[in-house]
Amino acid sequence: MFKYILKRLTYFIPTLVIISLITFGLSKITPGDPVKLALGNKDNGGDAGQAQEKMANEKAYYEKAENLGLNLPTFYFGLGTVAEPDTMYKIVKRSDRETLEDLTSQYGNWDKIQTYFYQIKKIELSLFDVQTDSTVFENMKEIKQKLNLLYLTSDDFDINNNLNSLLKNSSNNSKLASLHTSFLDLQKSYNDVKTNATPSKNYIPSIKWYGIKNQYHRWLLGDAPWFFGDEEPGQVKGFLRGDFGNSYLDGRPIASKLADAIPWTLMMNFISIIIGYLISIPMGVFSAVNKGNAKDRVSTIFLFILNSLPSFWIATMLVTFITTDEYGMNWFPTYGVGEVDSDMSFGEVFGIRAYHLILPVFCLTYGGIAYLSRQMRAGMLNTLGQDFIRTARAKGNTEKTVIWKHAFRNSLIPIITIFSSIFPAIIAGSFVIEFIFSIPGMGKLSLEALTARDFPMIFTVMMLSAILTLIGNLVADLMYSIVDPRISYDK
Amino acid sequence: MSTTQNNKNLDQSYWAIVKRQFKKNRVAVWSLRMVYVIVFIGLFADFLANDKPIYCKVNGESYFPIFKSYGVALGLTKYPPEFSNVNWQEISYESVVRTPIPYSPQNMDLKNKDYKSPFDEQDVESSRWRHFMGTDNLGRDVLAGMIHGTRTAMLVGIISMSLSVVIGIFLGALSGYYGDHGLQMSRIRFWLNIIFGLLGVYYAFGIRGYHLSQALANHLGLFLLQLLLSLIILFSFITVANVLANFLKRIPMLGKKIDVPVDILISRLIEVKVSIPTMLLILSIVAVMKSPSILMVMVIIGLTSWTGIAKYTRAELLKVRSLEFIQAAQSLGYGEWRTIFKHALPNSLSSVLVSIAFGVAGAILLESSLSFLGIGMKPEDVTWGSMLSSARGYFKAWWLAIFPGMAIFITVTIFNLLGEGLTDAMDPRQKK
Repeated sequence: MFKYILKRLTYFIPTLVIISLITFGLSKITPGDPVKLALGNKDNGGDAGQAQEKMANEKAYYEKAENLGLNLPTFYFGLGTVAEPDTMYKIVKRSDRETLEDLTSQYGNWDKIQTYFYQIKKIELSLFDVQTDSTVFENMKEIKQKLNLLYLTSDDFDINNNLNSLLKNSSNNSKLASLHTSFLDLQKSYNDVKTNATPSKNYIPSIKWYGIKNQYHRWLLGDAPWFFGDEEPGQVKGFLRGDFGNSYLDGRPIASKLADAIPWTLMMNFISIIIGYLISIPMGVFSAVNKGNAKDRVSTIFLFILNSLPSFWIATMLVTFITTDEYGMNWFPTYGVGEVDSDMSFGEVFGIRAYHLILPVFCLTYGGIAYLSRQMRAGMLNTLGQDFIRTARAKGNTEKTVIWKHAFRNSLIPIITIFSSIFPAIIAGSFVIEFIFSIPGMGKLSLEALTARDFPMIFTVMMLSAILTLIGNLVADLMYSIVDPRISYDK
Repeated sequence: MSTTQNNKNLDQSYWAIVKRQFKKNRVAVWSLRMVYVIVFIGLFADFLANDKPIYCKVNGESYFPIFKSYGVALGLTKYPPEFSNVNWQEISYESVVRTPIPYSPQNMDLKNKDYKSPFDEQDVESSRWRHFMGTDNLGRDVLAGMIHGTRTAMLVGIISMSLSVVIGIFLGALSGYYGDHGLQMSRIRFWLNIIFGLLGVYYAFGIRGYHLSQALANHLGLFLLQLLLSLIILFSFITVANVLANFLKRIPMLGKKIDVPVDILISRLIEVKVSIPTMLLILSIVAVMKSPSILMVMVIIGLTSWTGIAKYTRAELLKVRSLEFIQAAQSLGYGEWRTIFKHALPNSLSSVLVSIAFGVAGAILLESSLSFLGIGMKPEDVTWGSMLSSARGYFKAWWLAIFPGMAIFITVTIFNLLGEGLTDAMDPRQKK
């Protein structure tokens, strides 16, 4: 048995590695700039009035990126082309990097592209030296806007358009004469990129080796020393050592956000499972024993309908009809988990919480009851038709013994299978029910993280639920052999 | 005499028995009829609820605006100038034939906005224009939304299920038929396929990524063309690998046969997929997309729900492959693919059919809960889920809570009943 568990545990490793790669890959192709998200989505370019302010913003951006480890290469190795430089990852700003990558895959001459891009940067800084007055105000506004567009575009037509507009806006005024010459230079270097293009370089693959100093390694295993030495500031311990990082949304440690949310989901699922099993097991057994008579038929139809009722519909109906005064049935709170003071007694807190959780727990439970009872009934029917039950009856056992001692235990397998799916449900939560009732549990937390693309949070939820699913399956397999000794894993 | 004999033989084929059993089940037969109704409503939604008339006559000329709208949507024709950007309901027609519900789901009836109940006094010209299921806050007709929501539900069923059926049957059949030792190839072919496959992906998608994304941003047709080009590149790489392997396998060391562990690989893949909660997986894929749409959500549901079908197909093929008729097919020298797809698979499809029926119910439920959460929805999209969620804005609007939810419930129930009926009909223990 021990050997079997060990074998299964080693099987977990490749699965988890693949899942971590999937999540990590998803986070890398997500649109949007994670650093900006972490900085609170402030627009830190363009309209900043002063050169210092601009520089300070850039600095803050780079510091944040470094803090998040985004200045590292993405993975242990990179498959690229010889046209791209090895150090592309050092361009931290996502929009810049994407523009540069697009330009490279069009023209393939990194040196010239770099010169061109560097020139845009230089001109942007020199804009602050220009004495603006009312005569050039409109032109300057236009120039700033077009220059910002140049950062973002790699399309030949758009770039030419923007360059022409820059030249036109700077041509008429003597105050902008120096700018005009630098724009001409910029145009020249862009034309240089185009005339000296080496797109064939894009067709030669090159593998770049980055070593363990990369984002994936930092996230999963951390860059702090494992056994000896102290953690330096800026180093992290990594997912496997329980350091889930900070949320992009509010900068709070993910572990503490989880600690706030898990109890709610855990409690709701726990209550609903207990109630579910308490009702559905006797119900399933009862209707299997009474197969075919009126009671069974009624309960079968009832359970079938219950099973097909979408829980988010029932939840919406309950909220609509019995939580407000609109229909004169204001019996339950509409949403939330209630407010408690620290000086309330346990009984009072329990009362408030229970009052708020009745409806969500009901919505979580009824579908489960229907499903479980149907499974239990099917399993029981299957067992009751077998020969050993006839033998047990023939031996003169009472019907009660036959059912609960002989048949029941043998029809538990489908129930155990379902039990194993509870583990991941605790982490992922029930998105819709928690959303409808505004329960601050895991479902709501994940939903918020997903809509805001808060990937450290999503990583953690995905990995934890995958781990729990695997453990759940293992536990189920072990329980099979406890319930049915014929199932043995020792060969 | 011989024809009756034939008929009798036909009648005893497996599917004939299934059909007979199925027809005995009244509930299942009725749910199948309801499926036809749903498909009918979905197909002809435009002719049941539309702000454009089916036929109209303006200035002495006849038009068929709904048919015309299909042409416009396909880019084949354009509206005549008098119809571009018009409110179809306010044109003065000489004669007109309207759809039963004269509203589109997006139509905002400004005179009846802010939640008009079905029983309220509605500001309409005649009962022809009444909102029989009320309106929402923008004055959109709920019944029109229900009818067009049927189309969404039908599309969810068709698109996501066909995707998951294709993927599931393919992977399940491979892993069940070959197992871990069934597929052998020469060592050199195995490695060449891997290396050239990777190179093919690199050249087809890696370095063409810029062109692909640019084409996707500009024009769908252009994108499909680029995608086709990418696929041609990929396949030519794989072809080159196999042609090379045909020559190189003559060298003894390279030509040694090795097992390809198909079953292990596919089972691992299924395990990975099952370990991530479906809702979480779908939501994070949607989060990655720049501009998600309902169609994309349907595709994602299809791409994430094939595991059940794959498992069933695998188990069935494991059983079937050791049966005599498969060995007969093999000893007759039929190709592997012909044996799998013409002989082994058709004999294991019954359980797949059942899981398709349940799968449609699951997919519709999943899509409506996603659109309930507003995932992948554009503001103008109207589905059952989005209508149900709009009930949360105004508790007095009971019609918004009841009707769309009822539609979801009925559809899901019908497909569940159909699945139950099929299970019963195919259960060999009931066979006479």
